[in-house]
Amino acid sequence: MTENILECKNLVLHYTAKKGVVKAVNDISLGLLKGESLALVGESGCGKSSLAKAIIRLLPRNIQSYTGEILIDGQDTMKLNEKQFREEIRWKKISMVFQGAMNSLNPVLKVGYQVAEPLLIHEKLKKNEAMEKAKEALSVVGIHESFVDRYPFELSGGMKQRVVIAMALVTNPAIIILDEPTSALDVITQANIMNLLKRLKKERGLSYFFITHDIALSSELADKIAVMYAGEIQEIVSADTFYKKAAHPYSQKLMASVPTLRIDKKPEFIPGAPPSLINPPSGCKFHPRCPSAFDKCAKENPPIFDLGSGHIAKCWWFEQSEGKK
Amino acid sequence: MSSEGYEFTIKGTLKELITYKSGIFGTAFLTLLLTISIYTVVTLPYDQAVRLWRGEGGVWLENPRTAQPYWVKYFGQNLPETIKRDSTQSGQGGTVKIITSIPQSGMKLARISFTFDFSYDGFPSELNIFFSAKYNESAPLLNIYWVKPGGTEIKLLTYIPRSQNDKLYLSINTQVSSALMSYMSGILGKAPEVPLPTEYSLFAVEDATMNSTLTAKPLKGTYRLYIEGTLFGEDSDIDAKLIVYGKVYGLAGTDNQRRDLTVALLWGTPIALAFGLTASVMITFIELLLATISGYYGGKVDSVIQRITELYMILPFLPILIMISTFYKLDLPVLIVVVIVLSIFGGGIKSTRALVMQIKEYPYIEAARAYGASSKRIVFLYIIPKILPPVIPALIGSVPSYVFLEAALAILGLGIPNLPSWGKVINESFNAGALYKGYYYWVLEPAFMLILTALAFSFLGFALDKIVNPKLREV
Amino acid sequence: MAAKDLVKFVAKRAITIFLVIVVAAYLTILIANMGGYVDEIMKSEIILNVTTRFQNDPQFRNYPQDVRDRLINETVTLEYKRIGLDQPFIIRSFMYLKNALTLDLGRALYLTSDSGSRMVRNIILERLPQTIMLFTTATLINFFLSLFIGLYLSRHHGSFLDRLFIAGAPTSVIPGWFYGIFLILIFAAYLNVLPYGGIIDVPPPTTTLLYALSVLKHMILPLSAWIISAFFLGAYSNRTFFLIFSTEDYVEAARAKGVPPRQIETKYILRPSLPPIITMLALGIVNSWSGAMITETVFNWRGLGLLTYAAISATDTPVIIGITVIYAYLLGATVLLLDIIYGLIDPRIKVGKGS
Repeated sequence: MTENILECKNLVLHYTAKKGVVKAVNDISLGLLKGESLALVGESGCGKSSLAKAIIRLLPRNIQSYTGEILIDGQDTMKLNEKQFREEIRWKKISMVFQGAMNSLNPVLKVGYQVAEPLLIHEKLKKNEAMEKAKEALSVVGIHESFVDRYPFELSGGMKQRVVIAMALVTNPAIIILDEPTSALDVITQANIMNLLKRLKKERGLSYFFITHDIALSSELADKIAVMYAGEIQEIVSADTFYKKAAHPYSQKLMASVPTLRIDKKPEFIPGAPPSLINPPSGCKFHPRCPSAFDKCAKENPPIFDLGSGHIAKCWWFEQSEGKK
Repeated sequence: MSSEGYEFTIKGTLKELITYKSGIFGTAFLTLLLTISIYTVVTLPYDQAVRLWRGEGGVWLENPRTAQPYWVKYFGQNLPETIKRDSTQSGQGGTVKIITSIPQSGMKLARISFTFDFSYDGFPSELNIFFSAKYNESAPLLNIYWVKPGGTEIKLLTYIPRSQNDKLYLSINTQVSSALMSYMSGILGKAPEVPLPTEYSLFAVEDATMNSTLTAKPLKGTYRLYIEGTLFGEDSDIDAKLIVYGKVYGLAGTDNQRRDLTVALLWGTPIALAFGLTASVMITFIELLLATISGYYGGKVDSVIQRITELYMILPFLPILIMISTFYKLDLPVLIVVVIVLSIFGGGIKSTRALVMQIKEYPYIEAARAYGASSKRIVFLYIIPKILPPVIPALIGSVPSYVFLEAALAILGLGIPNLPSWGKVINESFNAGALYKGYYYWVLEPAFMLILTALAFSFLGFALDKIVNPKLREV
Repeated sequence: MAAKDLVKFVAKRAITIFLVIVVAAYLTILIANMGGYVDEIMKSEIILNVTTRFQNDPQFRNYPQDVRDRLINETVTLEYKRIGLDQPFIIRSFMYLKNALTLDLGRALYLTSDSGSRMVRNIILERLPQTIMLFTTATLINFFLSLFIGLYLSRHHGSFLDRLFIAGAPTSVIPGWFYGIFLILIFAAYLNVLPYGGIIDVPPPTTTLLYALSVLKHMILPLSAWIISAFFLGAYSNRTFFLIFSTEDYVEAARAKGVPPRQIETKYILRPSLPPIITMLALGIVNSWSGAMITETVFNWRGLGLLTYAAISATDTPVIIGITVIYAYLLGATVLLLDIIYGLIDPRIKVGKGS
């Protein structure tokens, strides 16, 4: 029986900007099973990165509300103070591979040191022990150990991304959040990195929380797909079902916009622009761009509807199906 | 992540500017300064102002020396204002002039009487009588009397004007002071230990407090000065103007040459603005051009410009400026040009050049080159508009430095002669020992104008910087 | 391998900087002599002085005309030779250049040091300590004050103190000497608790302790003026600087990794921002040596700045050139040193030709 290794319940992250309150994460609940890979997909600006940061507690300065539960291995991390969080959770239970690896590495510190740093902090290893482990981590991701003495600017984009992955692995956490880990890379490097991630997951039984706007890419790695729109989860469903028969109109539109090699179809686009997170549309956030919207959609925001076998959708079309969650 | 609603246009910028308090203050005060400048230049043209400030024609003679602004009376003693009585306006305000001819003698008797009320808490600073006498051979013989409230009459002196337009400085006239000394000795029973200045003797309350300037108090009431004179000649005539100089004058007071400081304060505004804005704008634009050329064309041109920039860094700006000012006579436009020439290869070039080199690599520049746009077109239509916005706040923010540069030169004594600028006023106040003598208003007023001008531009520059510089907005 | 690159790089920079110094020195010589015009002034002055001197000599009037003329001419020519006016300016300018660059600064024309020496080097060296004492101290105080306050503010971003410094930053546009005038007005003229200017009381105290205290008393106002002027902007700039650096992605990544806050500050914020900070400090110190001429004038502080002003007013070109060349060397050396330090600290520059 597999349990959720990571679970969010009613997670809220709002922060204040000059023009108003940005409701980046608006009451989100989802779960990640052990050994599972969950892909979080959505357009740019829908709040995906904010969700990741909310989970790993990388909060901006202008927070307005940060509430809900985040359960890692059953423990609610929201209840921990910063010191406890730093010592018990960060890089021990969950680590992160950032978007734009180029900037995630300190330009004035050697690569080897940066990979070894979590070991020095969390496992209190001695310098040479930590460096040995760092070399191991680097070779696992395919980087020769001589690179420990190099500086980030001496590495190519793909190599930097591998270093960042090595950095995330070095303390053997169970969960890794990957925020668009390949968006800045060329396709070949992208493919290599994805293969690496797949291999690591299999070898070490990792659980991935994988964020991307590239649906096609998600198909490489995802067991489960969560669709996010305007700060809210619109659908969570197994990957196979998503690619064949997604339930939510938005998910369907997303799938329709992906160009396919073998089937002759014209990729569609979704008219309109992503909504503002400060002044989102009333009712269902997607209704202005939804081809299936009806009058209730503009008035009330639908709750989550359970469609069975862990498939949930946030759309009034499913009101008749199973009871509300 | 960009600030929603902000457009990179002038209107958009102005809209954002209003949201900052510093922006409002800066813009408001700048508008005020501009209005003052335009008003001043229109109502008092430059040449006229310079002549006025030089004191041509004795225009300032009827002003008191180093008088404070009139509004100090709200904060302290009610200091006297200047009282003038003119015999040509006989019949008004307590002035009477009567001339009677003595038949068959060719002589006339003249009687001029000035009456005025004095109800101030302080003594006047000076008393002068300006005579305008008409005579052929012999000047009139005049006896001058002083009547205090209560009736006491003192004969001050017998006076013969030395020319048709003569000035009698009552305050320093020795005959007058000895007459008053004997009068005072009569009252006090003995001569005062330290001789009292004439103004004090003329106006003091007559008791023991008269003994020293520290304790003397002015007697409030109606005073009278009258002149009895004998005129010689059929066509002879005499007119007199009595001026009891006060200790306050006007909105800004006067300096030691009796000049109304409001003229200098007003005229300092367009000078400061012209100097500051012209220098700042010209230097910024030339630096911009040089940086763009240096960054865009690269190669030898770039090296040369970079070396010259380093040269400028090593050469000391202020000493060279002072050397040039000392050796040559400069007027305002030439000084501005010299400052510009000495500054154009300044440090701003390095940072702008770095920006240009970054922009040079952008795809749309490459695209422009691909469709055959000339370098000149690319530079002016694409690159310069891109690097202009970050440069504007620095431009505005650097205006105060140039304003203070002009003030510094003036304070060092190297300013443009006869230019009524704020720095000049401070310089003259220092030379006259204003700090030691307590003439604080003389220093504070131009200083205040300098501060407000500097702060206005500075606040505006900072606000603009926050708007235009994307990195600063997040912070 | 890296060392050889470094040496080549340093050598190239040194030569470039030296060339710039040469040009700067020559330009100063040209300007200070107004391209030779000063020669004419000096020549006429010499003729006037010699003639007057002879006119006042009663013996002189007894000589016949041609003897008088000969005497005057010989003396004038001797004077020309003494000052060096017998050669055309262009040639002399290069002589000056060579001397100046080798720091053979010669003798002053009119000024003397307080100890009576005419040697330019002594005159300058005598004034230098006063300037360093005042302005380098001010620069150092400002540097560390703004660094620590800036760091503190960046940590407490958005607090009242933070907003206070943001609001007050524009006040630094007013130069130190201007604040100095106000301080003199308040503390010397009105309250009469501190001196108007100068370095020491007149007459100077006899014991060393009292002497030192008197100097300190005279330092209070000028020092305060400079500190007030730089205070808000310095802290604000550093604070903005650190904030911008702390919004870098790698800082966020470090926080995510669980790096303790202290280490983030030192390794992730301070380390990368070190080059510009060191530059600011170095250039600030060198600038402080030029003695803030106006401040020294306002406070009558007998340092290098006042000396420069006096030299210019007296058209004492050897002193002017001496000061400029020494200053140019100091600045050039600092720039070179900075380049070396940059190369050592910033790995991006160390290894290759840089980005």
